[in-house]
Amino acid sequence: MSTLSSSSPSPRAARAPVADWFDADYLFGDPLEISRRMRREGHDIVFAPLLSLHFTCSNAVGRAIWSDTDNWCNLRGEIPLVKAIGPNLMFKQDPEHADERAAVNPSLRPKTVTDAWRPVFRRHAERLVDALVEQGSGADVNQHFAVPYAALNLAAISGLTQASWQDIARWSHAFIAAAQNQLNDPSLWPPAERARAEVDAAIDVAIERLKLEPDDSMLSAMVNRPQPFPLDVIRGTIRLAVTGGVNEPQHSLLHGLWAFEQHPEQKRRLLEDPTGFASAFDEVVRWLPPITTVAREALSPVSVGGVAFQPGDIVVLQVSGANRDPEQFHDPDSFNVFRERKPHFAFGGGNHLCAGIWASRAATEVAWTMLFDRLEGLRVVDPDATEWFGFTYRGIERLPVTWDAVRSA
Amino acid sequence: MSKVTFIGADGAVTTADAQEGASVMQTAVSYGVAGIVGECGGFLMCSTCHVYVEPKYLDRLDPPAEDEDEMLDAAAAGRQPNSRLSCQIRVGPELDGLVVALPESQY
Repeated sequence: MSTLSSSSPSPRAARAPVADWFDADYLFGDPLEISRRMRREGHDIVFAPLLSLHFTCSNAVGRAIWSDTDNWCNLRGEIPLVKAIGPNLMFKQDPEHADERAAVNPSLRPKTVTDAWRPVFRRHAERLVDALVEQGSGADVNQHFAVPYAALNLAAISGLTQASWQDIARWSHAFIAAAQNQLNDPSLWPPAERARAEVDAAIDVAIERLKLEPDDSMLSAMVNRPQPFPLDVIRGTIRLAVTGGVNEPQHSLLHGLWAFEQHPEQKRRLLEDPTGFASAFDEVVRWLPPITTVAREALSPVSVGGVAFQPGDIVVLQVSGANRDPEQFHDPDSFNVFRERKPHFAFGGGNHLCAGIWASRAATEVAWTMLFDRLEGLRVVDPDATEWFGFTYRGIERLPVTWDAVRSA
Repeated sequence: MSKVTFIGADGAVTTADAQEGASVMQTAVSYGVAGIVGECGGFLMCSTCHVYVEPKYLDRLDPPAEDEDEMLDAAAAGRQPNSRLSCQIRVGPELDGLVVALPESQY
């Protein structure tokens, strides 16, 4: 039997070592630094008194916690994301959560992604490559491709097809800003409140259309279900999709372009054989995950990795650190699209595993393939000057690119 | 308690005592059987608990539902007639002695 975790703490399990070194500066930098410090100190799990919670950088600890839904759940207090978008399935437990996920999972499984969404992704990518070309060499691929691409794709998958991509992008960014508003900046709440009202209005419009003309979207599945969901459940799921379904694929696309640029030999091999972009995606999100912290709360006394937890204890998995756990990955800090694939936490894990996992992989692969195919010599202008923003939702916000020639579609 | 035997791609054999009603995937994960991941916790979203069921046990299983059938096509290792997602196989007395072989990789 696995000895990593057991409910009812074993006599040898102790409280976690205290990270007195954890100060507010860590909240303004790259969260990976937390894991690096933990590894230097020789700890898989620490307690940070400043935040009254635990951090872990261990893949194995993460696996033990995220697969144990009897003893761990998503955070139950009022956290910024819930304040921003209201109750939603990410914070519910089974069977309620399973029921709500089951309704939308068919829209997001590989077959629907391949049959329904890939052609949509390709259409969006073609249109946006043309728009990027019109901007000319030096254009910001975030503003002119990654953002509209993610927003247009999310519109289709969610069912909010009558909303403009600009509105969807604005809603997503407002929710994300409020979701990482740990310091309670009051200016971040009103845009999120407005976005909620606008998303709900867009849902109302879409529901009427989808009752008459069902499609493969998440909203269509929820609305046309034999036992209808209450409206607040539908709203919660769609608001969550808007939050996660734009910002994350947007960043993954950019992080890949940046990572390929920093590794010319791998870029060269990918351009020779673009079928490699599918597995490259997995390495990009392992190395530069668009979500850098995920959390769980203990429901009962439980020990994991030699540490005894009490009910209410919170463990934050530092995703980029766990994704570079040397126990799990050989040469973990290296970016290597050809490495042996192993599970990591870019999409979380367990019963709440990101519903967008298949769609985001396909969409990003379609985009990279098309960008490099249409734009000969596509490259990032000054990769060393690229800046990163955010804590939990850390990513690139501006990425000028250039190219030598445009190939026709 | 029912027994389930896992045969790794490298030939390693693990025989586990399975909790009644637990899935074969859950049994593998609790025993730390390398070669089964179960990344999505048994909700038919990952295809990383793929196993090859020893043929004589195959008939004792209910055929895969539509969702499992679709996800089996997405399994990294080739789908065979005896392929199943082990999160969908519940252990019980009628499956006592179940033997499954594990694919080379779940990714």
